[in-house]
Amino acid sequence: MSVNEMIKQFISSELIPEGSEVPLTDTDHLIDSGIIDSFGIMSLLGFLEEKFSVQISGDDLIPENFESIATISALILEKNGYQLEV
Amino acid sequence: MDFRLTEEQVSLRESIIRFARSELSHDIRSFETNGSFPWDAWRKCAEMQIMALPFPERYGGCGADFLSTVHAMQALGYACRDAGLVHAIGTQILCGLQILLFGGEEIKDKYLPLICRGEKVFAQAITEPASGSDALSMATRAERQGESYVINGSKIFISNGPIADAVIVFAVTNSEKKALGGISCCIVEKGTPGFKQCKPFEKMGLTTLLNGELVFENCMIPLERMLGKEGQGGIIFSESMEWERTLLPAAHIGTMERVCETSVKYVKERSAFGKSIGSYQSVANKIADMKMNIELGKLIVWKAAMLKGQGKRASLESSVCKLFVSESLKKACLDAVQVHGGYGYMTEYEIERDLRDSIASTIYSGTTEMQQNIISRLMGL
Repeated sequence: MSVNEMIKQFISSELIPEGSEVPLTDTDHLIDSGIIDSFGIMSLLGFLEEKFSVQISGDDLIPENFESIATISALILEKNGYQLEV
Repeated sequence: MDFRLTEEQVSLRESIIRFARSELSHDIRSFETNGSFPWDAWRKCAEMQIMALPFPERYGGCGADFLSTVHAMQALGYACRDAGLVHAIGTQILCGLQILLFGGEEIKDKYLPLICRGEKVFAQAITEPASGSDALSMATRAERQGESYVINGSKIFISNGPIADAVIVFAVTNSEKKALGGISCCIVEKGTPGFKQCKPFEKMGLTTLLNGELVFENCMIPLERMLGKEGQGGIIFSESMEWERTLLPAAHIGTMERVCETSVKYVKERSAFGKSIGSYQSVANKIADMKMNIELGKLIVWKAAMLKGQGKRASLESSVCKLFVSESLKKACLDAVQVHGGYGYMTEYEIERDLRDSIASTIYSGTTEMQQNIISRLMGL
């Protein structure tokens, strides 16, 4: 499973209220659409740091890095060059 | 897993307890009556470098790790009966941590030494008259005009607000965006035209902590006073809360230790029907609950502090910590008044002040109900 897919799976299962069917693409705006809010960002950061063994702090904690699955994935890859194939 | 304090932490704890007992014995009641801030005690704490603990030496700090800082706050909460002063010091440290974590070098060089020396008082302004728990739905605006931001709005209940020399203000910089991208942080200094610090509110407890309203009317600040990047305020808020919900409860654990000790001493000495009242289960159970909550509270405070000190996420742990410790503190103080009977209700015994001070702990920094919301959201509910 790619980094993008793992992130998408987490967001779809944990941050999108049960029952709603939001077809997520890699470039959908997660913050503007309200999928990632002030609660969601904490949950997402916890997931990313644990799943990909990265520390996200300081200058990395900017909204631009969490705007879409693509930008989140880019941040993870930049942090540790992580790639997972399952 | 080793729960023992290091030699340095034991030494730090003991030195703060000695210091607080000898130097922070001001007559709190007179400050409560006057509504004034204990400046002498503040300066002594600054000389003791309590505010400097977690900051790098290059900024005048002590370079202590966060867990040691938490142990220091616990010791201060234990030995200093003035919870308002302890809270004011906690606020100062938390403002410094925000600057350390998100400030550029210029901002850090300018403000952190002032924070460490206690030379200037700092505050953070988030809450507004119409937005408490829903903090990020704030109305205060910071509009970009050339090389400045112009701030308009008001903040309320701000700890240290009436006496602050500098305030970290959260404001909307882009109303078209959601809170996460539309809010920013900036530093407003006392005396800036358009910045008004109103007189302190009268409160139920924590009376030496001065809380007030801050008003911004076309308050113009230079772009360099932005803390972090534009739009980063929502995330700074979330991150800052993890530190805050760990540091302030540490002081509460200390208060609970003192309240418990005082109660144990009293129920051993006080007799009724020919026996010490502590030998009656209905009294002893209250003391046992205090002890249980102190021990459990220490574990979650220390865990959250260790995670933050390691640069890790502690959203869940800090919310559990905040909720559990603040509710435990309130219960411990209420039970302490109860086991002291009529004496507990009298101001002379100072237990009633601990109770009054404890009430706010389940309100500030996110109410108990908000912590329950956060915990359940983080559990995927």
